[in-house]
Amino acid sequence: MKTSRPVAASLAVAGYIVMIVPILFVVATAFTGGRSLRFPPEGFSLRWFEAAFAYSPFVSALVSSLELALLATLLALAIGVPVTLAIHRGRLPGKGIVEGLFLSPLIVPELVVGLALYQQLIIGLRLDNFPVLLIGHTVLMLPYAVRVTGASLALADPSVEEAARGLGASPIRAFFSVTLPLLRPGIFSAGLLSFVTSFNNVPLSLLLQSREFRTLPVTMLDYVQQSYDPMVAATSTIILAGTVVVAVIAERTVGFARIFGGINR
Amino acid sequence: MLSRRTGLLALPGLALLLVGFLIPSVAMLFAPPGVSPLDIFARLGSMLTDPYDLAIIGRTVGLGLIVTVVSIVLGFPIAYLLARSTSRWAGVLLALAIFPLLLSNVVRTFGWLVLLGSNGAVGQLLVGLGIVEKAPQLLYTELAIVLGLTQLFLPLAVISCYSAVAQVDPGLDDAARGLGAGRTRTFWGIVVPLSAPGMVVAATLVFAGSVTAYTTPYLLGGSSQRMLSTQLFSYSSVSIDWAAASATAIIMTVLVFAVSGLSAVVGRRGATS
Repeated sequence: MKTSRPVAASLAVAGYIVMIVPILFVVATAFTGGRSLRFPPEGFSLRWFEAAFAYSPFVSALVSSLELALLATLLALAIGVPVTLAIHRGRLPGKGIVEGLFLSPLIVPELVVGLALYQQLIIGLRLDNFPVLLIGHTVLMLPYAVRVTGASLALADPSVEEAARGLGASPIRAFFSVTLPLLRPGIFSAGLLSFVTSFNNVPLSLLLQSREFRTLPVTMLDYVQQSYDPMVAATSTIILAGTVVVAVIAERTVGFARIFGGINR
Repeated sequence: MLSRRTGLLALPGLALLLVGFLIPSVAMLFAPPGVSPLDIFARLGSMLTDPYDLAIIGRTVGLGLIVTVVSIVLGFPIAYLLARSTSRWAGVLLALAIFPLLLSNVVRTFGWLVLLGSNGAVGQLLVGLGIVEKAPQLLYTELAIVLGLTQLFLPLAVISCYSAVAQVDPGLDDAARGLGAGRTRTFWGIVVPLSAPGMVVAATLVFAGSVTAYTTPYLLGGSSQRMLSTQLFSYSSVSIDWAAASATAIIMTVLVFAVSGLSAVVGRRGATS
């Protein structure tokens, strides 16, 4: 880009350095042949990737994270999409309040939600960790399901559904053959957003974990606190690669900036 | 489809919201197990007067404000240049600014451990350039927390500012320029005031994120630079002091709600004036 605005351009470059450079250093350190996070890396090797794949706490935590993110996403969509329909197509008293209520988990600090669920449901009601973790993640994903699918439903013309009903389709058939296809991009976007958010979550997973069920980010956080070797860099690089795949899928389907930035280009 | 029965579809969601969010949150803030609301208010009172606790609140708010200002100062130029650019690279650069939002906070923060650690690149660079003799302590400082939080929330600032700048008609820039205003005057007189609502949204998101973030203060601040979030965790998981945990949670929630409320008021006033 032409830099006819030197001040703005320098600030922008500084911004990109802060956002991107630390990530590049993680990748560089992951391929070191040495035993420390020293820079520059000593030689090139894949030993830390091998170490990460052989370290069973990371592998089982990865499986747990994927499992939890998938379940929470499906649950949030199964519960959130009907809520969207109720808000946009149903006769609900106080629609604005109901919608605000479903977006409210976004405003309350996640640590506060985590503490509340830990104290009231795990300590108070003696529920198991996993169901509470699933409830917590699902509640946190509901705003995405309601808002993102709501945006595509608001664009869809209700008269199309009424036409289907007028032609004799049952409400359920009208939903599955007319409304659902219109919602598909919104549901897909909400799903991707929820999955990534749940997979990366730390505050809830940290407070609601059990010995048997820990997610990958929390396990990595603990590991970094105890030992300081490049295995976490290798694991981070694997997560980075997975995240790039998700971003590419998003770009090819609905448009990356639209899903994650809420920007219509 | 517009029927009372369709409205019933919200019921499972409302039930989940009540059981998994609203009831536990209210119960935790005012009546944890074995603790009376009076204990919490007493604890809240002592936190707001005790110098140690006040220092933590002050650090949380202070660093939050610094991160907010830095994020706007760095994020607005990115948004402005990208929104006004006709280059085909602008899309790629925008994606590059949004991408970090998808990446785990742990991964992003770990990068600063690599950069700022005792054998890290920044310390070595400073020594190599002859600026300092011995690599300075960079980790576990407030600077490290500011850098980490800025990295975390800068993408949010870019997105909010971008949407705002993109809505300002470039024709207005041209008109101002045509009437003889310089580039700098056009920027400060047209672009900045018209995209101010987006900046308010950006500042709110960054501040709320900064005062509640856990991973970054935990990894980069350590035990020497406590913030509200790390205190909240240690009250609820290490020392199990429910009254202190609830009091800390109340302070944190009030901070976030106050800033969101303030920004809503400012935004509304901006819209009507």
